[in-house]
Amino acid sequence: MKLLKRLRRPAANLAEFEHPQGTPALEIHNLSVRFGDIVALDKLSLQIETGLRVAVVGPNGAGKSTLFNVIAGILPASSGELHVHGHSPSRHICIAYVTQSTLVDWNFPVSVWDVVMMGRAGQLGLLRNPGQGDRELVQQSLETVGLFGLADRQIGELSGGQRQRLFIARALAQEADLLLLDEPLAGLDIPSQEQIFSILDDMKSRGVTALFATHDLELAGERFDRILLLNRRLIAYGSREEVLTAQNLALAYGGHMQVLETAEGRIVIADSGGHHGHEQEGRHG
Amino acid sequence: MVNWLLEPLGFAFMQRGLLAAVIVGIVCALVGSYIVLRGMAFLGDALAHAILPGLALGYLFSGGGRSSLFWWALGTAILTSIGMGTLSRGTRLRQDTAIGIIFAGMFALGIVLISSIRSYAVDLAHFLFGNILSVTNSDLWLTAVVGASVLIVIALFYKEFMILSFDPVLAATLRLPARSLEILLYVLIATAIVVSLQTVGVALVVAMLVTPAAAAYLVTKKLRRMMLMASLIAAGSGVIGLYVSYYLNVASGAAIVLTCTAVFLLIWSRHRLSKDHGESSPNR
Repeated sequence: MKLLKRLRRPAANLAEFEHPQGTPALEIHNLSVRFGDIVALDKLSLQIETGLRVAVVGPNGAGKSTLFNVIAGILPASSGELHVHGHSPSRHICIAYVTQSTLVDWNFPVSVWDVVMMGRAGQLGLLRNPGQGDRELVQQSLETVGLFGLADRQIGELSGGQRQRLFIARALAQEADLLLLDEPLAGLDIPSQEQIFSILDDMKSRGVTALFATHDLELAGERFDRILLLNRRLIAYGSREEVLTAQNLALAYGGHMQVLETAEGRIVIADSGGHHGHEQEGRHG
Repeated sequence: MVNWLLEPLGFAFMQRGLLAAVIVGIVCALVGSYIVLRGMAFLGDALAHAILPGLALGYLFSGGGRSSLFWWALGTAILTSIGMGTLSRGTRLRQDTAIGIIFAGMFALGIVLISSIRSYAVDLAHFLFGNILSVTNSDLWLTAVVGASVLIVIALFYKEFMILSFDPVLAATLRLPARSLEILLYVLIATAIVVSLQTVGVALVVAMLVTPAAAAYLVTKKLRRMMLMASLIAAGSGVIGLYVSYYLNVASGAAIVLTCTAVFLLIWSRHRLSKDHGESSPNR
């Protein structure tokens, strides 16, 4: 009987709902991740306060996705410590990870509603079906991101912006306190980007902490509380004035980046890497 | 026409065969839906072939009792599926390489064992290609009970299996017991293969797992519907195939598989046609 109970509620002994007051959303001490001889992350230390929106920037291969995987608790660190709301990440079900949408099988036979309902599975536990409360939460989440009218659609029928909002809705249904978004704006037009920011504003007002990997330095400077500049080691973390300096950017991007002094201020041109094949411009005045 | 349909039903072996074909079809279609969605067809085929040494050993130790053979086959399938998962872990070997190594090795072992007990070769050939008309009442009961168990497990873990198949990252961040669920799914696949042995045999069982589910996948948008439709296709093909086998006097397992293939091709060509006309088919 006891075993059955443990089976039914794998989350019962997790720190799912208790987040000690005053603990930062994320504390990282000397965190390293190695794959064989390759060092993906090198002795990272930083602390992110609850409720901030943080842009994670750095060149391709800087370890942004690796960092997200460790924070999500699905990749073990080689050494060092990482705490989410005071506990090891694998003791939480409040971390929502929106992976790059190219990693999703959009032909999978599930509807928009089904995917958002998946977010409830952690709280439900095994062998338990969604109840009225779960359905209401899924509906609210879909309404928040403006997808309720498309609830019955197969997910492959959604546009690029709708696809990103779908996974943000799932994070809402999951009642996530920490949101990890890996390149959520890739390929989206400006109105779609704005929609996502307005949803994130809404989540921020509820105290959700969001880490947002992006190549766009201009966006990072304009729309975020903090910037985390990464190139396998932590180059800088702080406000845009503190982080987006010529020296830091040169450290992160090396020869692929130029800083130009103009009459309007300092213009930073960073090569976002071969995969994207175009240059991103960021302004820092 | 009615006579044509009723005549075979006069034989008890045909009644049992039809029931077995329907049960096996449904079980394989449900489990096969996960195989199709996750791209595990090779694993299914390999697992089926890897059962052979278990069957041979079962013969050696039990003298050919049917139900004990069933458990030998199931044990072998489960051990093999866990072995395949373990071999690729922690090395640079890709999963399909690990599957290929174990699959061929086990199949060869099975042939070596069979060649050492030549007198039983005919019965073992039945397991290679199936002989649905040899299904006894106790076989049928075993098939029904095991089939029902598979159905219950899938119903219980429906939402977990869906998440695990669609989004392993979500399964991990929701702290679902992904590893245990994965093993459970392997056990289900192994079970579906073993209950299919008498119907279609080791060599053709992958068709029962993959073909109806693939046909349903082309024309459905929801997992429940896909599973329902795959079950209907598989059960229907089982019945039609068995009638074909009866009247044309051809091997029953192969007739069932060919019927599945025909249904798949029909659905596939209609699907292609509606796609070429630039419209998504309305009943999708």
